[in-house]
Formats: sequence, C-alpha cells, structure tokens
Amino acid sequence: MRRLVTSIGAFALLAFVAAGLTEVAAHHSAAMFDFTKSQTLKGKVVEMRWVNPHVTLTINGAVSGDEAPGDWLIETTSPGNLVRAGGWRRDAVKPGDEVEVTFHPEREAGKKSGLLMELKAISTGEVFTANIRDQEKPGLE
Amino acid sequence: MKSGPVGIASLALFVLALAPSIAGAQAPQKAPAVINPPPTAQDWADIAKLPDWSGVWNPKITDQDAQIKTNPPPWNEAAAKKIQKMFAEEKAGRPFLVFSNCLPEALPSWMLVTHNAMEILFTPGRVTMLGESDGNRLRRIYTDGRGHPDVSDPTFHGHSIGHWEGDTLVVDTTDIVPEAPLAISEAAGLPNNGDMHVIERIHLADKDILHDDLEIIAPHILTKPWKTTRIFFRQRARKFDIVEGVCATGDLVERVNADGDHVFVPVQKSEWGHTTAVPAK
Repeated sequence: MRRLVTSIGAFALLAFVAAGLTEVAAHHSAAMFDFTKSQTLKGKVVEMRWVNPHVTLTINGAVSGDEAPGDWLIETTSPGNLVRAGGWRRDAVKPGDEVEVTFHPEREAGKKSGLLMELKAISTGEVFTANIRDQEKPGLE
Repeated sequence: MKSGPVGIASLALFVLALAPSIAGAQAPQKAPAVINPPPTAQDWADIAKLPDWSGVWNPKITDQDAQIKTNPPPWNEAAAKKIQKMFAEEKAGRPFLVFSNCLPEALPSWMLVTHNAMEILFTPGRVTMLGESDGNRLRRIYTDGRGHPDVSDPTFHGHSIGHWEGDTLVVDTTDIVPEAPLAISEAAGLPNNGDMHVIERIHLADKDILHDDLEIIAPHILTKPWKTTRIFFRQRARKFDIVEGVCATGDLVERVNADGDHVFVPVQKSEWGHTTAVPAK
C-alpha cells in the first residue's frame, strides 16, 4: 500500500513538474507589473476566480482595435478587499459580460496579463475599482 | 520446550535486568491534570467590562508602506544585506515571495504587513484573533493567568499569554517557529531563526482606531529590540463582515471533471506568486 501511495505521489509530482507548475500560492508583491503604464482592454468575461488571496479575471478581448481578440489574465486583490475597497460582489461580473478593463501590464513584454486598476461593466455602466488603500478613506460604507 | 538450569538462570537474569525498568515505570508520580475550569456567570459578566473591540478591523496599509522607510527594523549586518537584495529584486520586477505555500503570515508579520481584515473575540480566559484570507490565520491569547509552557512547542503564532492593564491588552508571545518571517512587506522579510519574543500593548487610540504597539526581540537578525505601532481601523457595515478565505484556492480553479464531480484543479503560477495561466473549462 505504501509503495502504491509513493508511486501515486511521485507521479503527481512528475505531472506537476512536467506541466511547469509550482506550488506557491501566497500573498505576493505586485512588482512584476509596471505601475508606470496603464492599458485598456475591451472584451468579454470568460471567467472570474473569486479566490484568496488574489482574484483573477480571464477576459477575451483586445487592447487595441486592430488586433485579434485573445484571452487576457487580469489579477487583483482578495475578495474581502474588493468588497470593501471597490464595491465588488461575487456576481459583479459573469461569463459573457462585456467589460472594459484598465490595468497595469506585466513588465515582461508580450505577456497577456496585468494588474487590475478598474473594471467597467458595459451593460450597466457600473465601475469596480481595486485599490486596497482606498478603504482607509473616512466614511466608507 | 524444556528449560535446563542454564535456561532458568538466563530467565532469572533477564527478570533481574528488567526489574529496575519495571519499577521505574511505576515509580514517577503522575502530575495532576491541569483543568480549564468552566466559566462562571461572573466571568461572563467581567467580559462586559472590557473595552469594545467588536467589528471588523482593517490594517492601515499606507502606514505600513510609510514605515518601510521611516521605521526600519534594526537589522544586523547579514540581515541588512539580504533585505537590500530583496528591495533591489522587487525594484527589478522580481519580488521575493516572503509568504510562500500559503503558510500563515505568522506572528509578528500578520500584525506588521497584513492587507486583510481581522476580528477579535473575548471569552473568559481568552482573547482570540481571527484573520481573513488564510483559513489558518488564528491567534489564541490566554488571559487566564497561565505562564508559557515549560517545554517549547513552536508554532506559527507562538504561545501567547495576555493580561489587561486598564483598557490595554498586554500580550507576551514566545515559541514561534524559527522559519516565521519578520516581514516589512510582502517582498521583504527574513526568517527570525529562533528565540523571537514579541511583546504587544493593544489598545483603542480612538473610537474606531486600534493600535498594536509591538516590541520585537529577534536576536539572530536584529541588533536590538524593534518597536513599531501598527494601526487598524474599524468598519461596522454588515457588507464588510469577514467571510471564509482559503489561501490555497489561489492555486486552483473550479472545474467539473469527466465523472461530473466538482473539483479543484491547479492553475499555473510564476515563481513570484502571480497566476500566469488558468486551464480552459
């Protein structure tokens, strides 16, 4: 039995390594994003991962009008902070919703990912922000 | 089986050899179990006399940011070099992952650099701090008069004993794992390497402002005790109530497998901790 468990463990580890995955979920710095730049992406929500410590949005769209749409991965803070600081809800956006997203791109050129600054839901005009320091403002309700 | 004289003699010797250990096993006086007494009505009534720390407390992150420059820890020479390297790496876009593998931020880093809320519960003999985001973020502070344990059993949040001096909760924490970082940001922090001691004076500085005055003694990485105050502000709107947050889900995405079962599957992460790819549905 122990040999079987060991074999399964070794296989799982091998599969993980083969897939290029590392097990590092954590609270992390956002220094991999370029805070001196911002870009705007228009597209449709594919999926929102409402998870700790960092929510991610997959959005199919393009940054400029003349490029083919692709999947972009936009990362942000935790669900609790989004609720407190940016007016978010778990159902703030749903797959298929048209959105306009402003974000700081990754420093490494060519990566289709970024750090969320603001998301606008096109159908309702609702704007959701993501600055965790905003919640320090007095009178926040 | 027959036993000859040699066999009997051997058995006798064996019994004689064993005798002291048998006697030894019976001899020690068993220490009486220490019982945590059930709280009395008076104990509960005394809770009502404590200051009101209810609600959701959030860290003042802008002050955490400022103290990186205005109040750095007195790192020793070796630690200072490592921290400088971490600053340089962060500046270059390669932030060091201080809090990897979803381990607790631990004490004192939870108090120092958290970006998430906490709540504080009073019960007889205990103050309990519950943090958002990690699932395992929990501090038990014993206020029942006990001391620290005779035998160290290190944990991420250490062994905390507290007492009230007026409206200030004074907390003394030892027995923190040596791997627990002393962090000043999510990208700069070092393992305390053992023998860390944290003394806190927690009190309301205003109606909705809580101060944690910390003194951190970390002899293997600091040249002297480091004092810092961390600020938390209160929110009472119900929509800010803390909900369950499990850090490990950051590595995962919800999917339905071939059997129709709802399961979590891994996403791809970078060495710096951010998500770089999510498997298609």
